[in-house]
Amino acid sequence: MTTITRPRRSRLHRKEHQAALLFVAIPVIGFLLFTLFPLLFSVYASFTNWNGISAPVFKGLDNYTKMFGDRYFLKSLWNTLFMMIGIPVGLVISLALALAMNRKMRGTTFFRTVYYLPVISSIAAVAILWQWAFNGDFGLINQGLGLIGIEGPNWLQDTSTVKPALIIMAVWKGLGYSMLLYLAALQSVPRYLYEAASLDGATAWQQFRHITIPMVRPVTFFLIVTSIIGGSQIFVEINIMTPTGGPEFESASIVWYIWQKAFDNLQMGYASAMSVVLGLLVFTITFIQFRLNRRNQFSID
Amino acid sequence: MMKSRPMAATLALFTAAGLMLGGCSAPTGGDTGEKKLTFMFRGGEDEKKAYEKAVQQFETENNVDVDIIVTTADQYATKLKAAIAGKQVPDVFYIGPGDVQAYVQNGIVKDITEYVEGSDTIDLDNIWEYGVDSYRFDGKRVGEGAIYALPKDVGPFSFGYNKTMLEKAGIPLPDKDKPYTFDEFVAAAKKLTADTNGDGALDQWGTGLNVQWNLQPFVWSNGGDWLNADRTKVTVDTPEFAESLQWFADLQNVHGVTPAAAEAQTLDTYQRWMKGEIGFFPIAPWDLSTYQKLGFEWDVIPYPAGESGKTASWIGTLGIAVSESTKYPEDAVKLVEFLTANKEAQQSLVDAGIQIPNLKDMAETWAADTSTKPANKAEFLEIVKDYGRALPGGNTYNAEWYDELFTNIQPVLDGKQTAADYLKEAQPRMQEFLDAANQQAGN
Repeated sequence: MTTITRPRRSRLHRKEHQAALLFVAIPVIGFLLFTLFPLLFSVYASFTNWNGISAPVFKGLDNYTKMFGDRYFLKSLWNTLFMMIGIPVGLVISLALALAMNRKMRGTTFFRTVYYLPVISSIAAVAILWQWAFNGDFGLINQGLGLIGIEGPNWLQDTSTVKPALIIMAVWKGLGYSMLLYLAALQSVPRYLYEAASLDGATAWQQFRHITIPMVRPVTFFLIVTSIIGGSQIFVEINIMTPTGGPEFESASIVWYIWQKAFDNLQMGYASAMSVVLGLLVFTITFIQFRLNRRNQFSID
Repeated sequence: MMKSRPMAATLALFTAAGLMLGGCSAPTGGDTGEKKLTFMFRGGEDEKKAYEKAVQQFETENNVDVDIIVTTADQYATKLKAAIAGKQVPDVFYIGPGDVQAYVQNGIVKDITEYVEGSDTIDLDNIWEYGVDSYRFDGKRVGEGAIYALPKDVGPFSFGYNKTMLEKAGIPLPDKDKPYTFDEFVAAAKKLTADTNGDGALDQWGTGLNVQWNLQPFVWSNGGDWLNADRTKVTVDTPEFAESLQWFADLQNVHGVTPAAAEAQTLDTYQRWMKGEIGFFPIAPWDLSTYQKLGFEWDVIPYPAGESGKTASWIGTLGIAVSESTKYPEDAVKLVEFLTANKEAQQSLVDAGIQIPNLKDMAETWAADTSTKPANKAEFLEIVKDYGRALPGGNTYNAEWYDELFTNIQPVLDGKQTAADYLKEAQPRMQEFLDAANQQAGN
C-alpha cells in the first residue's frame, strides 16, 4: 500500500523474522510444555483426590481444608521457616569474608577458591559428607569439640540440634556464592566516595556503615530474595541426612513433606495442594520484598 | 508481511513441537520386527551384575531384546511413578506387596495367573508360598486371589549372635530350636555388656537394636499386633504391645545392655556388631555376603520370645510384575518367570550372598551346605515356611499409619515417656491415617 520498494526489502526482513521466531519459539514452547502446563495441572490436581496413577477425582477444596488441620504440614512449614535463620547469618558472614578478601593480601585467590568450592560441589555428596561430620560418635565436629573438652550432641538424632545442624551446613554451602557477589559489589564501589569520606574525617566504621552497606544493598536484596526462594525449597540435604524427616519430624521441610505424600503415600492431589500453597507463599513474600525494596531505592550519579 | 507473522509463528511452533514430541514418544520397539522389553528394577552392584547376566541368558534363549533400567533404592518409586504418569510403563518392573492394591485397581499391572499356572518353565509348588501370596489380590485383600507378580526374593529377617564373644564370656550358647525368653535374653545381654580393656568406658554390649526394624518380632511373640484381622483397626494400644515396647526401651534405659541412646543408630550398631563389640544382632539374607568376612564366629537363632513363647519375625519381599500395557505379555511373563525361578539366575544371586533361593528344593540344598556361614541357615527357611509375617505397613494401601508410630517414638526409647502412655496417644492418630488409607483403597 505504501511504497513499492518495501516488498523487496521485506523479504530479508521476513526471513529474519521467521528465523527469530523459530529461535524464540523453542524456549517459549519449552516453557509452555514443561513449566506452565505442569503448573496449571498441579493447580487442577490440587482440587482432586489423585494417587498419581489413576484418574483424578474432583473433590473441591477438601485438600485445602485438610491442610490446616494437618499437624505435620504445619510442623514442616514451621521447620522450613526456622531453617531460614541461616539466611541472615550467612549474609553477615559472607559480607565479612568479602571484606577480608577485598584487601590486598597474600593468598586471597586461594581463599576465594576454598570458599567457593562448596558451591560447585554436588549437594548430594556434600550432604553425605556432613552427615558423617555430624555423627555423634565418630563425627569430625564432635571430635573437634572433644579436643576442647565439650561433649557434642548426636546432631542429627537430637530434636534440639537437628535444625541447627542443617542450618550450619546450609550456611557453609551458600557462603561462597554470596561472598563472590559481595566481592564484585565491593569492587565496584567508587573509591572517591571513601576518599571524600576520609577527608571529611569519617572513621572506618562510619565509612562501612554509610558507604559500603548502602552500596552493596542491591546485592543484599538479590541475595535475600533468592535465598528465601531457595530456602523454602530445601529438600536434598534433608532427604539424605534425615531420610525419615528427623527425630520427631523436627527436620522435615515442606518440600520434603510434599514429596513424601506424593511418592510414598500416593497422595498426589494433596501434595499438589500443598505445593500450590507453598508457591503462593513464596510469591507473596517475594512481592512484599519488591515493594519494600522499591521504597528504599536510591541511585548515585 | 502482517499476515506472514502469525504464519511463521505457527510454523515455528509446529516444527518445535514436532521436534519435542518426537523426542518424547520414542517407540518401544516393534518397528524392526524385533521384540523388545524394558525391565526396570532397583538394587546394588551385586544384584545388577547377577540380573544383567540372567537377562543376557534370557535374551539369547528367547530371541528377545531386553532394555535394563536400574535405579538406586530410594529413587525407584519416584522414577516408576514418573514413567507411569508419562504412560511409559516398563514392561517388567519391581513392585512391593504394598503397591499391589493401588496398581491393580488402576490397571497398571497385569493379572498373570493364567500364564504362570499354565507355564512349563515354572513350578509354582516349588516357590515359597509366602512369596507368591504376597502378590495375590482378590479386589479386597492382598494375600488371596489372582497373581499379579512373582517374588524377586523373600527376605526373612533373622537374629544372630557373636559365638566367639559368648564363649569368652562363659555363656552357654543359645539353643537354635528353643528361643530365649525375654528375661533370659536380658540376663545373657547383661553378662556381655562390659568394659573389656579396663579404660573405664564400656566397649562391649549385649545388643543394639533399631526400633523400626526390630520391634516387630518382640511385639508379635508377646501376643501383640499392629492391626486387627481385617486390617481396619489399629491395635497398638493393647497391654501386650505396650509391654513389649516398654521391654524394648528398657534394654537401653533400665538394663543398659545397648550402646547409649545417642549411639543407637542402626549404622553405628551395625558397625559395632561387625567390629565384634555387640553380642546379639539382627541378620538378614542380604547381609550374608558381608558377614562372611567377619573376624569372629557367629550363627543364627530365633528371636527371643515374649509371653506366647513362640518366636516371630518378619519377611521382606519384592515382586516382579508385568505391565498391563505391554505389547508382548507372553515374553514379559516369561522374563518374570526366568528372573524368579531360573536356576542359574537364582544361583548367582545366592552366591553373591544377597538372598536366599526362591526355589524350595534349591533352598534346602543351600541350607544343608555347611561350607559357608552361618551353620543354622535353616532358621531362614523356618521363618519363610513357618513363623514369618509381612511387615504391618506392607499390606495396606499406604504405610502412613505405620510410619506414624515411629515418628514420635524417641521419648519412649529415651525413657522420658512410658510405652503405654505413648501408644495411647499414638493410636488415634494412626487410626486416622489407616481410615484414610482404607477409604482410598475402596475408591
